[in-house]
Amino acid sequence: MRVWADNPLWRAWGGLMALGALTTLAAARGGQVAAPVLGAAILALAWAKARLILGRYLDLDRAPAWRRGFSGVIGAFLVLLYGIYLIPAV
Amino acid sequence: MKYQTQRIAQVYFTVALALFAIQVIGGLLAGWIYVAPNTLSELLPFNIVRMLHTNSLVVWLILGFMGAAYFLIPEEAEREIHSPMLAYIQLAILVLGTLGVVVTYVFNLFEGNWLLGKEGREFLEQPLWVKVGIVVAALIFLYNVTMTVLKGRKTAITNVLLLGLWGLALLFLFAFYNPHNLGLDKMYWWYVVHLWVEGVWELIMASILAYLMLKLTGVDREVVEKWLYVIVATALFSGILGTGHHYYWIGTPGYWQWIGSIFSSLEVIPFFGMMAFAFVMVWKGRRDHPNKAALLWSLGCATLAFFGAGVWGFLHTLHGVNYYTHGTQITAAHGHLAFFGAYVCLNLAIFTYAFPILKNRDPYNQVLNMASFWLMAGGMTFMTFVLTFAGTVQTHLQRVMGEGYMDTQDQIEVFYLMRFGAGLAVVIGALLFIYAIFVPRREVIEPGPVERERIEHDPDHVAAE
Amino acid sequence: MSDTARADASGTLPGDLMIWVLIVSELLVFGAALGGFMAVRTTDAAGFAAAQDHLDRTAGALNTIVLLTSGLFAALALRACEVGSRGRARLWLGAAAALGLVFLWVKGLEYAAKAAQGIGTETHPFFTFYYLVTGFHAAHVVAGIVILGLVSWRDNVANIENATAFWHMVDLVWVLIFPVIYLLR
Repeated sequence: MRVWADNPLWRAWGGLMALGALTTLAAARGGQVAAPVLGAAILALAWAKARLILGRYLDLDRAPAWRRGFSGVIGAFLVLLYGIYLIPAV
Repeated sequence: MKYQTQRIAQVYFTVALALFAIQVIGGLLAGWIYVAPNTLSELLPFNIVRMLHTNSLVVWLILGFMGAAYFLIPEEAEREIHSPMLAYIQLAILVLGTLGVVVTYVFNLFEGNWLLGKEGREFLEQPLWVKVGIVVAALIFLYNVTMTVLKGRKTAITNVLLLGLWGLALLFLFAFYNPHNLGLDKMYWWYVVHLWVEGVWELIMASILAYLMLKLTGVDREVVEKWLYVIVATALFSGILGTGHHYYWIGTPGYWQWIGSIFSSLEVIPFFGMMAFAFVMVWKGRRDHPNKAALLWSLGCATLAFFGAGVWGFLHTLHGVNYYTHGTQITAAHGHLAFFGAYVCLNLAIFTYAFPILKNRDPYNQVLNMASFWLMAGGMTFMTFVLTFAGTVQTHLQRVMGEGYMDTQDQIEVFYLMRFGAGLAVVIGALLFIYAIFVPRREVIEPGPVERERIEHDPDHVAAE
Repeated sequence: MSDTARADASGTLPGDLMIWVLIVSELLVFGAALGGFMAVRTTDAAGFAAAQDHLDRTAGALNTIVLLTSGLFAALALRACEVGSRGRARLWLGAAAALGLVFLWVKGLEYAAKAAQGIGTETHPFFTFYYLVTGFHAAHVVAGIVILGLVSWRDNVANIENATAFWHMVDLVWVLIFPVIYLLR
């Protein structure tokens, strides 16, 4: 077995943990940063996590067209959620 | 006809078509009562006419499904039906039950009797003894077809068909459970009514449609099976929790509004899948099957089911919309096109396909049959539009403006008049269909240049007659 | 094993078509639920924020770590199975399922805390969605644990591939519902 840092799965896990930590950091700054910025950061991090899961865990890196399709649709969906998120502030 | 016992189907189909005639004539009468409300109000009140209209619909559709099973299972399983005798006994029980129901509804001889009296729950009004008879007949039927399949070849089509038929019978058992609490009563009631038409019947529909596509287009079985599995999976995924769209306003907790809205919205997918399936198969198909009318009914079925069940269902399935439209003519519009598109057309498709084979003759009367399709489909589509407009106006007047129910009814009379006209077209179409099926005539049209060319030069081509 | 063996770049979905039909269906359901949640939030953003303060964000974050780690173990199980080490594959599957149980335990503590505060599905629209979405997700975790158990019994590559795909779908859904329901405010 190779060292874990070389294994794409372990690296994906490391990436997911890092993104999770960033999300926690971002959420902890609620009140200090403007809500629209914070919301965008949280959703962008969610998208990054989703992409890692799709590509590595679900192995869509083997089928790049499908990976693009899935992450594109999920990205568009998160943009939609962000749009709805901004409505009460307007 | 490869197997002698396929003949059983002919008897089932014939009884089904007789009930079909009664059903549409009953519908026409009900439509007339909307126009002239005092018609027969003493002799045959509207609620009884409506009961006959809906009950006979369900019974003839089920007889059609059973006939279809007796027709296609021998071919799929490559075995004769386990016991033809049982099949006929089963039919006799169902016919006796049907007659009993009609007598009970029309003359109401046993009001309040626990065994003989009608039970009063919409669609499940049948007296208890008839319900028991239905279960006995269903058990005989399931025993018969399951034994046939177990002895023979198992295909995706028969597996899905059996799953649907078993589900149909098992879910009917909820008809026996009638709690006093009205909310619970409705909750279990939908286990039969919803989980039939938006659950297991879809499996039956998909498998019969798959069989027809296999025969009519000659596409490889593997391709058909792949589609079938996807359709079945999406139907069950969306349909089971989609029951929630009946639980908005019956006293069940509020989360049903979201479960119902979300899952029932997805119920469009299997119907879209079936439509895409039918058209892709015809497009890919290599076979030029002579029974064009059966193909027309199959494609019409998939298309009208998508619009009637899928689109018109979605129209009022979101709870925010349904809050206003609940129980208006919008529901009637959806109900008519959904039942016609999904299940009536499906049955008429398999009848059209099977009858020439059962009678061992060429598919005669195709033009007449196709004309009946356009009359029925056109009439039903027009009726759907008319009722949708009626429902929209009704929703506005009654639910938004707050006018009284009967005041509103007076104002939408013109739609009921047009609906009667549409119903008349459907009845004429139905009678035409029955005539085209049973009375063989020579076809009047001559083959055109393309067809003649094919007959001369294509050795695989079978002439349409 | 080397990555070149996996990188066939054929462009087809890994695993059965049917598992992908299921994944897409599930994404549609959870997506619609989150869309509905956000839409209802527009009618009462302050009420939603106040209700959200009753959630245990630490437990949510912990569960994210638990579930994503469990996903890693499931993926490692598939790799192990592909190179023929059945024993190691079963160990990873067991570890993944065990973390699934940890997730459910934390979730159970969260629900118990809510119930102790008298918070039910009808308390506020926020909680209707909270219980509905996380409860439906938790039901998938339960199903996933059962499936992981089944494929460590019937342990061929195809079965494990489909089971782990289901499990990753559960991860994927969680990384979308956690930020939207627990964090966005």
